[in-house]
Amino acid sequence: MLSFTLRRLASVVGVVLFLALAVFALGKVGNADPVRTYIGANASAEQVEQARAELGLDDPLLTQFWNFLTGAVQGDLGISLSTKHAIADDLSTRLPATLELAGWALGFAVILAVVLAAVAALGGKVAAVLRFVFFSAASAPAFLVAMLGVLVFYQAWGLLPASGRTSYGVYDDSTGFYVIDGLLHASPLYAADAIGHLILPAVAAGLAPGVALARVLSDGLGASMSSPFARTARAMGESETTILRRHGLRNASSPALSMLAVQAGLMVSSLVVVEQVFAWNGLGTYLANAIAAGDFNAIAAVSLILGVVYVVLNALVEVALAAVDPRVRLG
Amino acid sequence: MTTASPVLTIDDLTVQYRARGRTVTAVSDVTLTLAAGECLGLVGESGSGKSTIGAVVQGILPADGSVTATGAVAIDGRPLVPVTDPAWREIRGRAVTTVFQDPMRSLDPTMRIGRMLDRYTGSADASAEALERVQIRDPRLVLRKYPHQLSGGMRQRIMIALALSRKPSILVADEPTTALDVSVQAEVLTVLKEAASDAGCGVIFVTHDLGVAHHMCDRLAVLQRGRVVEQGPVDEVIGAPTHEYTRRLMASRLTLDLDRSRPVGPVDDAVVAAMADAGAESTVPADLTRRWDAGELTWDAFVGETAALGAATGTPPAHLVSHVTRTSLSLNGISKSYRGHGRGKRGLHQVLHDVSLEVGYREAVALVGESGSGKSTTLKIAAGIEKPDAGTVSRQGVAGEGTQVVFQDAGASLTPWLTVEQILLERIEHTRTGAVLSKEARLALAAKTIGLVGLPPEVLAARPTQLSGGQQQRVAIARAVAVPPSVLLCDEPTSALDVSVACSVLNLISLLRHSLGISVLFVTHDLAAARLIADRVAVMTAGRIVETVPGERLAHDLTTEYGRRLVDASLA
Repeated sequence: MLSFTLRRLASVVGVVLFLALAVFALGKVGNADPVRTYIGANASAEQVEQARAELGLDDPLLTQFWNFLTGAVQGDLGISLSTKHAIADDLSTRLPATLELAGWALGFAVILAVVLAAVAALGGKVAAVLRFVFFSAASAPAFLVAMLGVLVFYQAWGLLPASGRTSYGVYDDSTGFYVIDGLLHASPLYAADAIGHLILPAVAAGLAPGVALARVLSDGLGASMSSPFARTARAMGESETTILRRHGLRNASSPALSMLAVQAGLMVSSLVVVEQVFAWNGLGTYLANAIAAGDFNAIAAVSLILGVVYVVLNALVEVALAAVDPRVRLG
Repeated sequence: MTTASPVLTIDDLTVQYRARGRTVTAVSDVTLTLAAGECLGLVGESGSGKSTIGAVVQGILPADGSVTATGAVAIDGRPLVPVTDPAWREIRGRAVTTVFQDPMRSLDPTMRIGRMLDRYTGSADASAEALERVQIRDPRLVLRKYPHQLSGGMRQRIMIALALSRKPSILVADEPTTALDVSVQAEVLTVLKEAASDAGCGVIFVTHDLGVAHHMCDRLAVLQRGRVVEQGPVDEVIGAPTHEYTRRLMASRLTLDLDRSRPVGPVDDAVVAAMADAGAESTVPADLTRRWDAGELTWDAFVGETAALGAATGTPPAHLVSHVTRTSLSLNGISKSYRGHGRGKRGLHQVLHDVSLEVGYREAVALVGESGSGKSTTLKIAAGIEKPDAGTVSRQGVAGEGTQVVFQDAGASLTPWLTVEQILLERIEHTRTGAVLSKEARLALAAKTIGLVGLPPEVLAARPTQLSGGQQQRVAIARAVAVPPSVLLCDEPTSALDVSVACSVLNLISLLRHSLGISVLFVTHDLAAARLIADRVAVMTAGRIVETVPGERLAHDLTTEYGRRLVDASLA
């Protein structure tokens, strides 16, 4: 198991290197001039010269890539062409904001999936109703769910906040994760408020992935509940719930785990929209602004970060797959 | 064997399945009893209702109205309404447990054996004892294993241990050794018999195999279309069957002392007639074919008469050549490895070591071995489906069309959305001889071929799913021989079929081989089937051909230890 994990991690490094190269190349082949984005269209030739030097664009390409790579490893992601700040500083509050939201959205998706799939697996009329819910919810785009959520839970009922991350200030020694901040400072009120702010955006971003996950899990459960080993358990006198718990979920989880990785990747694009709707100052908002401004440095940096998160997540899923299924682990 | 109170009584049991508005009666008016310590065999072919009776006794049929049952069942003297009684929940897994057919998939692949067993035995020590009772030598080690790390025979022993761990009154064994290799089958049966008798529980033994039933059971109930047609002590039923169906089953048993010169099993007149008509244009005259198929001719007489006719007409007689004159297929020094699945570190797993095999012109060669011996890989390489790592394959196109394969699972090998006629035309169009034919001639050839394999012309318009397993296999054979290949490659073509159907397919392959003058490479785990079909039998184990003997004297001539073991297992 250990060597399996190490080998997966080694392959992560390779993939990330390739990703860095791709992201770097993307900024170089674009036909927008980064210097003009940086200092504006009306700058003098002298100013352009100065800016080129400042951005390191006079160096040979290989040196530029080396600087980009070594900088990234040390946490220096370059300068944003639009905000003129170090990108790393820009992201220091935004990355945790997005990770917190994505974590809750994924958590919601997984819980939703397990509940939906388990109810569907045990059959009955509820299963038929759920199948209907599956289809309708999976076809609703995240922004629609987000707007509906705002209309119902904020405007009509006033139950949940609809923008920002907290109703209070931010702690000086904030981890960037507000729920954790609240717990660290022994302030349940602060944590609860942060959770309140998370509910609507997390549901909006997690609903469709949750349903997609539920369908995979449900198919897998259907297969494992009608499999010969479930029949064996039945013949040994086990109840359906015991079979589901003891044999069904674990055997159905392999395809669901793979699906989880796919959905986590897809969630990035829905987060861009959801963050806009809920004025969530995270990577998504930052990325949207950077794209609008043609800020290739920022786009490259955010893409690299999202890529790394995605690759690491996939590696974790593979390790989890091996943990779940001894046939993967033991050959 | 009988005791005062039976552990199971079944009175007038009738079971019906309801699906899509249709009602199918699976079991009619069945009355049975089982005493403690007794083994009752339920014998029959698919659709006979034997497994349904097993399922009723286990109480695992769905109580949602899709299955209805009448009659009375009593277990340990406790009366139960079949199927719907809520008390089945207490019976299932306690008074009645089951050993299923498929040991490869009947154990949860994600769970260690110990964790499965401990739940019912209560402790690791008790689990180890349970494994000892099914003669597993190193129980502590096995308890730590996952199912995929164990062989089929080991897994089936674990299933038996699992089933007996609940100390049931009744053990239902549903075809428990059908999926196992012959040499393993005998061991597992012995283990099952001894462990069940030590535990003192009654056994319901469901099987299609009269030989296995004879070995295992005290009493037999022979089932046909849901009814018990004959019931009695095993020696009486096997020794002196009174019902015609039992006799048919007996006649369909493939043994190593069958007369190879005659068709095996019950011969259906309609099939014989259809074959004879279709065979009119073949080089063997129809009436000879019919007489051979009906069993009126010995092999020597058949050969003599065709040879005489051939000499008279100037056409070479299309039948067995007593010694090999030319080679239709030759494999030279074939080696093949596959990448071990799971982790790559394990590297390559060699399945074939320097295999050489020749199939002569109009010769039939059988390749016999157990699962994992490499016999199917050899066939795939002969067919060109797989490429060998080393060695050469040469196929002489005597009939001009190389090789054709008939697979075990005919249903899966036929395109489901095409009609049988389209399936045959597709094959005919893709051959050199077929491509030059007119549309009409192709249709005529398809029609002729379907008759040749003993099917009525209506089958041409049917789709594969509308046909029975035996019919599907005949269609698969028709596709292969519509334009005769030089070598017909058969991969366990009868293993998935009922015994009587299997016999008729074996007869068909023999007949076609002679009437069309093609060579056959027949891959099987069944020595008796190999002996019937083949002039020569090659025995394969662990990727090597260990010996080759003439088919006729197979049982006497096999000399290697492995070959003897196969023969002994087949005799038992």
